[in-house]
Amino acid sequence: MIATLLRTIFVDPWPFWAGGMIIGLLVPLLYYYYNTALGVSTGYGNLVKIFLPSRHLEWIKTKFPETWSWRVYFIIGIILGGFISSALAGNAGLTTEMGRFTDTVQWPGLLTAIYFFVGGVLLGLGARIAGGCTSGHSIHGLANLHISSMLASAMFVIGGIIAANLVRVTLLGGVW
Amino acid sequence: MDKKLGFLGFGILFGFALSRVGASDFDLILGMFLGADYTLIGVIGIAVVVGFIGMQLIKKFEQPTISGESLKISYKELKPWSLVGAGIFGLGWGISGACPGTVLAQLGEGKVFGFFTFAGMIVGTYIYARLKEERPEL
Repeated sequence: MIATLLRTIFVDPWPFWAGGMIIGLLVPLLYYYYNTALGVSTGYGNLVKIFLPSRHLEWIKTKFPETWSWRVYFIIGIILGGFISSALAGNAGLTTEMGRFTDTVQWPGLLTAIYFFVGGVLLGLGARIAGGCTSGHSIHGLANLHISSMLASAMFVIGGIIAANLVRVTLLGGVW
Repeated sequence: MDKKLGFLGFGILFGFALSRVGASDFDLILGMFLGADYTLIGVIGIAVVVGFIGMQLIKKFEQPTISGESLKISYKELKPWSLVGAGIFGLGWGISGACPGTVLAQLGEGKVFGFFTFAGMIVGTYIYARLKEERPEL
């Protein structure tokens, strides 16, 4: 009985509603404990300050006075959470798997790496111009019924639909 | 509880949940945009509803925050370029099959190509910081 329960929580994949509830609860919990909005992408500014020579840039200077702020700890936590999840499911270790992309596209590793890097550049640049990402706009902002987040989320989805269809047609042989 | 330690803990919970529902899975993200898999729409939908109800609840508390401060809800201002940025973000989301949170869960899961999405995100943020020097309206 207890073994089954532990297995359901720690080993098996979760039903979508369980994950949705936990993620949604973060919004009021972070306000209750720290009066802080849920958000991930701003913390990449801290990472820029840590990894790239950027301390002379005005935006880095003014927005990130504290290099190792709580945002970095949140980022480290999410990485650890992913690690614990996959380790408990018995999948610890490195993998080059990326779903249907790596199943279908027979590119040399370097080209695949560049592909994902380019996607990442668009995510990083786009999130900053948009003022937030999926967690800040589409979860925190929508849960607070913010108009700006509704519009941003609509644009996220439009961009995603365009890109996913382009990828499907040009790289994945048109099938899904 | 110390804020940094607290966020480390909440981050672990967040990353664990993202990984468990498959949000760090390339196929589920692409499937969502191609209308083939509704798992993540369900996750985001439930999260928004639960987040909304939770916010209404804590607003009714005598003390909506544990420190006794009044709630400071962050509103992301919509600048003229914001929607363009959101479109760029969406393209990156559909290409990489990841977003700034889920790519971190991918790192923890040992997905090697997720590391390149992550590195790209840092560089993209750096490009923004450079652009912002010349174009403060961004």
